[in-house]
Amino acid sequence: MKSKKVEDREGFKAAQALTVGHAQTTRVYDVPVVVDLSKCITGCQICIDSCPVDCLAVNPETTKAHMKYDECWYCLACELDCPKDAITVKIPFLIR
Amino acid sequence: MEERIIEADIVVVGGGSAGSTAAIRARESLPRGRVVLIEKAHVKRSGAIAIGMDGLNNAVIPGHATPEQYVKEITMANDGIVNQRAVLAYAESSFAMIQELDRWGVKFQKTESGDFDVKQVHNNGRYVLPMPEGYDLKKILTRKIRREGVQIVNRLAATRVLLDGDRACGIIGVDVRTGEIGVVLARAVILCCGASGRLGLPASGYLYGTYENPSNAGDGYSMAYHAGAELTGIECFQINPLIKDYNGPACAYVTGPLGGHTVNALGNRFIRSDYWSGQMMLEFHRELHSENGPVYLKLTHLAPETIEEIERVLHRTERPSRGRFHLGRRQSYDENLVEMHVSEIGLCSGHSASGVWVNERGETTVPGLYAAGDMACVPHNYLLGALTYGKICATSALDFISRAGAPALDADQVAAERARLLAPLSRPDGIPHHQYEYKVRRLVNDYLQPPKTANRMNKGLEYFLRAKDELDEVGAAGAHDLMRVAECGFIRDCAEMAARASLYRTESRWGLYHHRLDFPEMNDDEWFVHVNLKKGPDGAMVLFKRPVGEYVVPMSRAELSGYRDLRVSERSPPLEPPTVHDGMAAPP
Repeated sequence: MKSKKVEDREGFKAAQALTVGHAQTTRVYDVPVVVDLSKCITGCQICIDSCPVDCLAVNPETTKAHMKYDECWYCLACELDCPKDAITVKIPFLIR
Repeated sequence: MEERIIEADIVVVGGGSAGSTAAIRARESLPRGRVVLIEKAHVKRSGAIAIGMDGLNNAVIPGHATPEQYVKEITMANDGIVNQRAVLAYAESSFAMIQELDRWGVKFQKTESGDFDVKQVHNNGRYVLPMPEGYDLKKILTRKIRREGVQIVNRLAATRVLLDGDRACGIIGVDVRTGEIGVVLARAVILCCGASGRLGLPASGYLYGTYENPSNAGDGYSMAYHAGAELTGIECFQINPLIKDYNGPACAYVTGPLGGHTVNALGNRFIRSDYWSGQMMLEFHRELHSENGPVYLKLTHLAPETIEEIERVLHRTERPSRGRFHLGRRQSYDENLVEMHVSEIGLCSGHSASGVWVNERGETTVPGLYAAGDMACVPHNYLLGALTYGKICATSALDFISRAGAPALDADQVAAERARLLAPLSRPDGIPHHQYEYKVRRLVNDYLQPPKTANRMNKGLEYFLRAKDELDEVGAAGAHDLMRVAECGFIRDCAEMAARASLYRTESRWGLYHHRLDFPEMNDDEWFVHVNLKKGPDGAMVLFKRPVGEYVVPMSRAELSGYRDLRVSERSPPLEPPTVHDGMAAPP
């Protein structure tokens, strides 16, 4: 049996939870596309153009390609099209 | 920020298979005209066949099959509910398309005498033409588009068809890299946007672990719907037998002709034909969930050279990462059975029959609007159907623009869509698109995955309507996210269509695709009709029956039921066993 005080508090918070807005977290994902930075060429856009789901981009910190969005179809387009063989695509962990 | 406005004679939306041939054909006839091809990815790797394809599943080649035979086969495989004229138009034009692809340099498998080497996978006829070097197909199409001088706009994700009165007059979308709004004002619009392949949630829980290229999110279904076009057969879902977890094809059309086949856990065959029909999927589903499940693809009995040949194809075309998937599990085709499962649902006329209603000219019910490929309902149309109907649509669109005047751009429509598209940027801390998408697609699994019941689907419909409001909470951090949020809207629209169409047809048909536990029998008296839907005048979805047009290839009732008995049983005639030589022949 809950006390009146607890019930009041829960009622208040339940209503507040409907309107409180959003908060985010930061977390790191293991992603399938692994770029060898020693082989990848700065200024080359080939893999970024190839990706059918637009999940690759230039990483401003390294000026090299990286998988920016966790949305890979493991189709291998980037790997096959890379002129420097700098990319290895793994099967996503959830599917491996 | 001003919109970027391009004017065109014809705009083709989507640079996959259908879009490529549509743009090429349009440009061939309009050497001085403006043919604009817009693509949300990049044409060199877009559409359903980013990495090429291993064969044509429905080649109607003189000497092997006739257009009439093919029309009968597809009418049968789709339980009679087809617009035969549309299927026949494909069957009659597809050989010319094959010859054209041959001239463009696509390498088809040929016999020593130089004929096309056609194989049998369907229940009755021979229509499968292997393309072992099919990884070149996408490159060849892209080269041809460029040579013809098609104006290509990559990374522009179209979100709505623009209308001038009732007539289609262009498209609007967003550049997925810059966030700039793009408008193409055109005298005719050809939608080639692919399947609704991100509808159900893969059992792995991985959002992008879909059978279809995940950029095919149902964009065309939703755009045609909002333009007022009719859609049809939405309740005839796409469900495929796929490699479990990998969720890609095994693929019966490659391995079948080489002697591979489906078996249960006892090693016994249980289906007579591996052709992907609804009835085949129902037998597959039953076996999977019986005491004899799981279900496997069996290749272990094949000669080492045959296995090598299979690997050469399966690990190089369509989904080449299959090889590393198997290696990761320390499995191989010669030592292990390949565990199979039943995929989540999608909408795709390339495989089943869900799509925008089109006639034999590729016309939708909206003037100036055409649709081809996986999103347009010409049942079981596959890759060659997309390529062929791209051309058919372009021919019809060319005819239309020779008669129709220049359309006018409606600034209000542009402003409204611009506001809708960009709104998520004002909520950078809103619900992330992938969470929204995960939830809608999980609800699709919970309430729409067959077998279907009205109680479950009504419940699902409530959630999909609620999801319409929730979409206003989804945020975007940049241009890429804007595309994803727009896709969330397409996915939700498709979920609502799938629920309503499935509720409307109160019978069972197409095997597993529309298997209703509350109406388990097929009811030809009431339901030998198309179920169509469209956006009503008040903005609500309306559903109605459309009669099945008179058959141009007459069929008897017995012929129509040709796909209903696919289970291996005592009553069935013996299977042809030439490739079964390990003692695991067909059970008695």
